[in-house]
Amino acid sequence: MKRLIILIFLFVMLAPVKGYSQWEFFEHRYKYKLTDVLEADRFEKKDGYWEGYRGNRLVGYVFLSKEWTKKLVGYSGKHMETLIGMDTEGRLTGVKIIFHSEPIVLIGLKEKNYQDFMKQYKGRSIKEELTVGKQISMDAITGATVTAVVQNAIILGSARKVAAVTGMMQFAKKKRGKISTKFRRLTWKELLESGAVRNLRVTSESLGMKSKEVYLDLYFAVVTPPSIGRSLLGDRLYSDIMKRLKNGGSAIVVFARGKGSFKGSGYARGGVFDRFNIEQQDRVFVFRDRDYRIVTEIKATGAPDIREGGVFIVRDAEFDQTSPFRFNLILPFRIGAKKEFKSFGAEYRLPERFLE
Amino acid sequence: MSDKVKFNRRNFLQILGAAGIAAGSGVLIPKETLLARTEKDSRRRGHQSNEVKPGELDDYYGFWSGGHSGEVRVIGVPSMREIKRIPVFNMDVATGWGITNESKKLLRGRYTGDTHHVHGSYKNGTYDGRYLFVNDKLNNRVARIRIDYMEVDAIVDIPNVQGLHGLFPQRYPKTEWVVANSEFQVPVPNDETNASAFTKPKQYYGLHTIIDAERMSIVCQVLVDENMDLAATDYKGKYSMTTSYNTEKGVTISEMLASDYDYMLVFHWGRIKEALRKGNYTRINGVKVIDGRKGHSDIVLRIPVPKNPHGINVSPDGKYAICSGKVSPTCTVVDLDLIDLAFEGKIKPEECIVAQPEIGLGPLHTTFDGRGNAYTSVFIDSTNVKWNIQKAIEAEKKGEEEKKKKEYIIDVLDIHYQVGHIMASMAETKEADGKWLVSLNKFSKDRFLNAGPVKAENDQLIDISGKKLRLVHDSPAYMEPHDCIIVRRDIVEPNVKDRYDMFEHPLAVTESGVKRNGKNVIIRMTSNAPVYGLQEVRLKKGDRVTLIVTNHDEISDLSHGVAISNYNINFVIGPFQTKSVTFTADKVGVFWVYCTNFCHALHLEMRMRLIVEP
Ligand SMILES: [Cu+2]
Repeated sequence: MKRLIILIFLFVMLAPVKGYSQWEFFEHRYKYKLTDVLEADRFEKKDGYWEGYRGNRLVGYVFLSKEWTKKLVGYSGKHMETLIGMDTEGRLTGVKIIFHSEPIVLIGLKEKNYQDFMKQYKGRSIKEELTVGKQISMDAITGATVTAVVQNAIILGSARKVAAVTGMMQFAKKKRGKISTKFRRLTWKELLESGAVRNLRVTSESLGMKSKEVYLDLYFAVVTPPSIGRSLLGDRLYSDIMKRLKNGGSAIVVFARGKGSFKGSGYARGGVFDRFNIEQQDRVFVFRDRDYRIVTEIKATGAPDIREGGVFIVRDAEFDQTSPFRFNLILPFRIGAKKEFKSFGAEYRLPERFLE
Repeated sequence: MSDKVKFNRRNFLQILGAAGIAAGSGVLIPKETLLARTEKDSRRRGHQSNEVKPGELDDYYGFWSGGHSGEVRVIGVPSMREIKRIPVFNMDVATGWGITNESKKLLRGRYTGDTHHVHGSYKNGTYDGRYLFVNDKLNNRVARIRIDYMEVDAIVDIPNVQGLHGLFPQRYPKTEWVVANSEFQVPVPNDETNASAFTKPKQYYGLHTIIDAERMSIVCQVLVDENMDLAATDYKGKYSMTTSYNTEKGVTISEMLASDYDYMLVFHWGRIKEALRKGNYTRINGVKVIDGRKGHSDIVLRIPVPKNPHGINVSPDGKYAICSGKVSPTCTVVDLDLIDLAFEGKIKPEECIVAQPEIGLGPLHTTFDGRGNAYTSVFIDSTNVKWNIQKAIEAEKKGEEEKKKKEYIIDVLDIHYQVGHIMASMAETKEADGKWLVSLNKFSKDRFLNAGPVKAENDQLIDISGKKLRLVHDSPAYMEPHDCIIVRRDIVEPNVKDRYDMFEHPLAVTESGVKRNGKNVIIRMTSNAPVYGLQEVRLKKGDRVTLIVTNHDEISDLSHGVAISNYNINFVIGPFQTKSVTFTADKVGVFWVYCTNFCHALHLEMRMRLIVEP
């Protein structure tokens, strides 16, 4: 293990003091060249990325994730700096981890496992779905779910942003609309039928279990439209949440019942919710415990009892709650003693009636 | 997909009239309306369940005094699970309360206390979820707990008094004042300048202390001949009240029981403010003391009640103050709308009494359900008695015959055993909701596994949502809660924080390091799971060391401990919290400093060395 005598605290980057921190034990920095991720004989520096040429032909782009998705941080609270190569069609030509301090050693993993995880991105298209538990397998770093989920968000988010900048993909830059402040108390049935609340149902059968039971019956919605938020959360909790959002941001609420859990327990240790995230165009939003407020019941008339729930705040102004987004669920489950993962997703589009 | 919920996507999209819904695998909208709320059904009146299943949360925060444990406890109601102990006047070796410099500054060397009454700060007659106030009967102090961190942020010493017992905050328009009573009359001042009074109990006095709730300083004290037991305030911001059981100024039991009548005292806040404005006070031990004795001022109204009363509680509608009789089997109902007339001399003080129903043997405290009923703890009978206030008043009007029928009594529940305080959910606010009642019983006897001659108390949970009282749960309590309040979760929850504001502490450490100035050494250290910001610190024997540690972990619930082996020091720091200790490096050797509060898979490895050289 390479021992750096550099002191890096999480919150201060000041001059080192006498004695040294033990943090470097968890820090891994790797040298890189642009050709590690894209075969090209010439690179041209642009704003936030490099164009790669073979002869005079543009063959792709290389970029560093910290230029694009620095806010995404892993279990360690730090960004996993990734070098990413992508061809002009949006296919990944290679990804390489160049810095991380994810404590994967604690769960018996080695650096090689991390690198093996990264290998599977080569050849994948960022124009298509790219989800941990589906296209991306967690086998190489089983147990490091926070790391895997955040790493995936870093790669996908960075690449889609570069794709947008280079004109390869188009994303709406304008917000879809303004949320209506009108309020009508809606029943659970009305909320479901209007599409204000979306349901994602995972059956035991779909996980290869013998049981006929619903494994996880999950519901989610955006909170801000009063007819949705107040009906679901009740006036008091709704106004508390809105107070927290007064300086911007939005929130989604997630409820579930069944044997499975969307919250899991990863957030108890690392503060990151590793079983779900939301994806909107070129952006992936991962939630931390500081963004979370527990919800233990749905107030809407006719709503079922729930087993778990929470309001999750999206602070990032890039998220537009009026535009469609996708809720991704990465569900670990056990068949016998074997732990497996499977991903599910559901689209959400705020119905017109909740807009002005 | 199960056949039961077959689903036609095209139809579904038509129903929604929404475009662009690309449902992923496993997405399905159930056709049928969802399951009935079986559990909610079980919460119907008179049949509430106290079960809080794994993952569910309680509906109420209970704040319990800890009696002579000196602490305050947070209990989830109705599960009755103990969630937290807040050290107040005691030393707590787990959190370091009494060990750290921050807590020592508040405690000033006194680590015993006797907390009786915890009450919350108010706005417009209900809790605002900001503060709790609690008395110390033993060392005569009042502490304030800030609810956001659930820890003590101020302690004020109350001079000139002993037996600082009843405490109550102003309820309206908001808590600017907190009143506290002295139960033991003493010479005032009680020091060498007044030694001639020591053997003359007639020169002993009680004091009603008024505290500024924001500043946590004393506004004034009102001196009276009587002792004062429990405290209450009205819902209009006009008066504070108390009962006195020793109007006789007795110093032995027989002397205290001599008179057949004692008093309920009412303090007129407008007249107190006027006395302060006019300078009608003397300063004793730095405090403005106003003379409230009978015949000396018009500040205090004395309403005669049967001898040796105990609790005083105000009904949620703000109309009545009810004094529980203790030695008398009655409760005295005082109409608060008549108090001003009595103060003005238009009626006699005793004419404020509108009912005196017989409740049982040894009524101690009364609480309310917001539906016009009162619940009184009855000590000698070992019961909780539910009675209707209006019916008691009507019976009083109709006369003795009607009173004898006792039709105002609705239900009587045996409790186990010997109840002291009693409190219903939200009962000390205008939002009393009549759901749960807690009976704080002094004896548990045979209700729990026998754990030796000194046994737990027994806090019993009672469902009062129906007509009858229904005993639901027994929970043991370590000695010795006196009183509690039961506060709706939605009032408290939004104010409670998961992490400290780091720079609220002036010494917050952002960079680890050691600074030496002669024999004085300041160690500043950060902590991040699983490492401290320093691996070793070299000291010389005799160094005066201050260790300041800041927890830099942001993750909620990720607290660290800091324990110095063989140095008798341990404390815990929550996320972004800073604490410090000062000690003399009087032992030579290598001393491991280690994390005592589990934080990480490498928690055991989280340690550093203090090397104390000869
Ligand atoms: Cu620790």
